Amino acid sequence: MEPKVEDSNPRPPDDTSAIQPNGWLGRMLVWIISWATPKCHDVVRILSEQMDHELPLLMRFRLRLHFSVCCWCERYMKQLHYIRETARRLPEHADEAGDPVLSPEARFRLKHVLNRQ
Amino acid sequence: MKQLGAEPFSSAAAGSPMPPMAPRRGGAQTNPERWVDEHGDCLFRYALVRVRRREVAEDLVQDTLLAAIRSREKFAGQSSERSWLTGILKHKISDHFRKLGREMSFTDLDSLADEFSEKFVPEGYWVHVKGPKEWKPDPDEVLHRAEFWQTMRHCLDKLPERIANVFMLREMDEVESKEICSMLSISESNLWVMLHRARMALRECLEINWFNREK
Repeated sequence: MEPKVEDSNPRPPDDTSAIQPNGWLGRMLVWIISWATPKCHDVVRILSEQMDHELPLLMRFRLRLHFSVCCWCERYMKQLHYIRETARRLPEHADEAGDPVLSPEARFRLKHVLNRQ
Repeated sequence: MKQLGAEPFSSAAAGSPMPPMAPRRGGAQTNPERWVDEHGDCLFRYALVRVRRREVAEDLVQDTLLAAIRSREKFAGQSSERSWLTGILKHKISDHFRKLGREMSFTDLDSLADEFSEKFVPEGYWVHVKGPKEWKPDPDEVLHRAEFWQTMRHCLDKLPERIANVFMLREMDEVESKEICSMLSISESNLWVMLHRARMALRECLEINWFNREK
């Protein structure tokens, strides 16, 4: 990211990116990698597309490179996978997912219909 | 309450001559009235998350149980009765949306369009202090907490309806994107936009309301 933008967009203490913009070399590296890889706004869109079809090798490499300076996009990717895995398990946990139950009338109607079979 | 550990054992034992699930398959055991009592609410809740209207959800449960009666001979007992019935329900849900897709437009590119613009600086990077946080408590341990699933349902309910529909077809029913496009007559690029918005909104909702919530 350009040094000016970096200065006006402080990194919180939980920033775990591998390459930090500390010192001359760090700032340079962050700047070059940010320039050579898609911007976060596009990365999140690309990461979502990756959940539905395979990306070209070069793009996968650029994403990896981007993660080295941006722990937020890396977290975003992990969380998308987590959401997928949990969403798939919702049916087995539907019992725990809240209050709505079949109304007594619906229950009666269901049994009536099933008994006629 | 459903025991999570039960299923791997039953499938591991499926090849043995006397699977432990066998007693479940007796004549009286497949009494459809018992299905209504034991699984009716669970099936109904799942259907309601998907279609959001009680009467449609009730119809889907009814169709599911009727189909189960017709195919109960084929139920081999390798899986639990619950997951067998849920599997049938998923097919009924797909059929429901396929039919709806012929009648109405599922494309929704307007909802949630600019909702997340404040998360990014104009140059396209995250506003770092608003970027995704590390999720705590540990995501794997919360799966056994009822409150987590209630939050999940609440977040799914908050998604705009058509966006939620495509998201759940993709992520819960594991329908391939091409198949969803032909089911609902939407273009692949529009589907990706909708899925992207659904994922972004759901991630945000889970982060605010469950992970990293103010305690």
